Amino acid sequence: MTTIKKISDFKMERYLLGELPDVEMRELREREVSDEIFAARVKKLREENGRILEECPFNALEARLEMAGKSSSSAVGTAFWLKVAAALVVALGIFSAVFMGRDVVTMQSDDASMEVAMADAGDTRIKGLDARMEVWKKTGDSAVQLTNGSEVREGDEIQLRYSVPEKCYGMLLSLDGNGMFTMHMSDGMSAMKLEPGKMTTLPYAYRLDNAPKHETFFLLTSHNSFDFDEKNLNALLKNKEVSNVIVELRKAGR
Amino acid sequence: MKVDNQAGQKAFSELYEAYAPMVYRRCLSLLGDDAEAKDMMQDVFLRIYDRKDSLDLSQPSSLLWNTATRLCLNRIRDKKRRGLDVDSSDTLLNIACADDEMDGYEARGLLAKIFSKEQESTRTIAVLHYVDGMTLEETAEMVGLSVSGVRKRLRTLQARIKDLEVKR
Repeated sequence: MTTIKKISDFKMERYLLGELPDVEMRELREREVSDEIFAARVKKLREENGRILEECPFNALEARLEMAGKSSSSAVGTAFWLKVAAALVVALGIFSAVFMGRDVVTMQSDDASMEVAMADAGDTRIKGLDARMEVWKKTGDSAVQLTNGSEVREGDEIQLRYSVPEKCYGMLLSLDGNGMFTMHMSDGMSAMKLEPGKMTTLPYAYRLDNAPKHETFFLLTSHNSFDFDEKNLNALLKNKEVSNVIVELRKAGR
Repeated sequence: MKVDNQAGQKAFSELYEAYAPMVYRRCLSLLGDDAEAKDMMQDVFLRIYDRKDSLDLSQPSSLLWNTATRLCLNRIRDKKRRGLDVDSSDTLLNIACADDEMDGYEARGLLAKIFSKEQESTRTIAVLHYVDGMTLEETAEMVGLSVSGVRKRLRTLQARIKDLEVKR
């Protein structure tokens, strides 16, 4: 007789959010395929998600914020929004404009071995301002450095690092096969001031979503401040005053 | 700073859209009423917004789940005290109405302690363990305490609620 372990509500929610550890995600995905009752429960919850948001849209919450004199668009702590955006990037791999008015210096990962692996690596030098960018993928309890053409898959956890040789302005962003940009490091949609020094690890990892074909990372730097919008990437890449480091990863599984 | 404001608004709306269904279902399971759950769901996000400077957002799902649990317990207790009908199990009702030394921190404005992983409400811990059926290990992970810490906290509550027993 097969015993089917009951899945708690919280675990089920984390499964829907894609937040469970890899092993548990895999187990439940397999169960969703083989267990009709479980699959029906998942389907019902996913459908319910849309209905709940239709009945309770964010606008309704905004109205309450405004009634309480707390407009969500008012000037609020940048650090908080940074945390919100980054948490969502890690949890969902969705587009988030990560904006910061400060340098990032620490990596908030509980996986020390990943840090050690990255710290032991040599730096790859590049052209232009001689800025450097490294792209790492978490593998089990360690990490491997990725280079142009490396293969990645949906769900892979990516960590970015950079360094610049002198004070400058810069931003880190990525473009996926759906044409979606994700800002990983910037001051809103503008380049942020960067200080020279050792390789700096962004404080948050980035989980790849199901976008096909490629995931391309850009480190753009310049002596002068510059802005980004989705339509001017090519112009920035051609701009002689803006140096770039590009790592294009190949997306497998689609 | 227009860009920052727009980006901040976008980040908060993304947080809401990602987690609102989970928060709603949590509130519905504890309150048992659709309208009340929707109202409470908004309260949870308002609370998060209010306390944004002291929150640990490294695990938003845990934070929102625990916040929803605590606010729902407060709602149940308030209704009980006002003599209103409460559609809750006896266990949940007993936990909701139990004295909790951690409530004092909140009342006294020591919110950082309430929100930090070390000071989650004992009533919330009890709901995770007794109502949700989480093991002591799962509960400990959820609230950032050791298993022995959770057991100790539950025993303090157990002393006030006869029917509760700390499971090993």
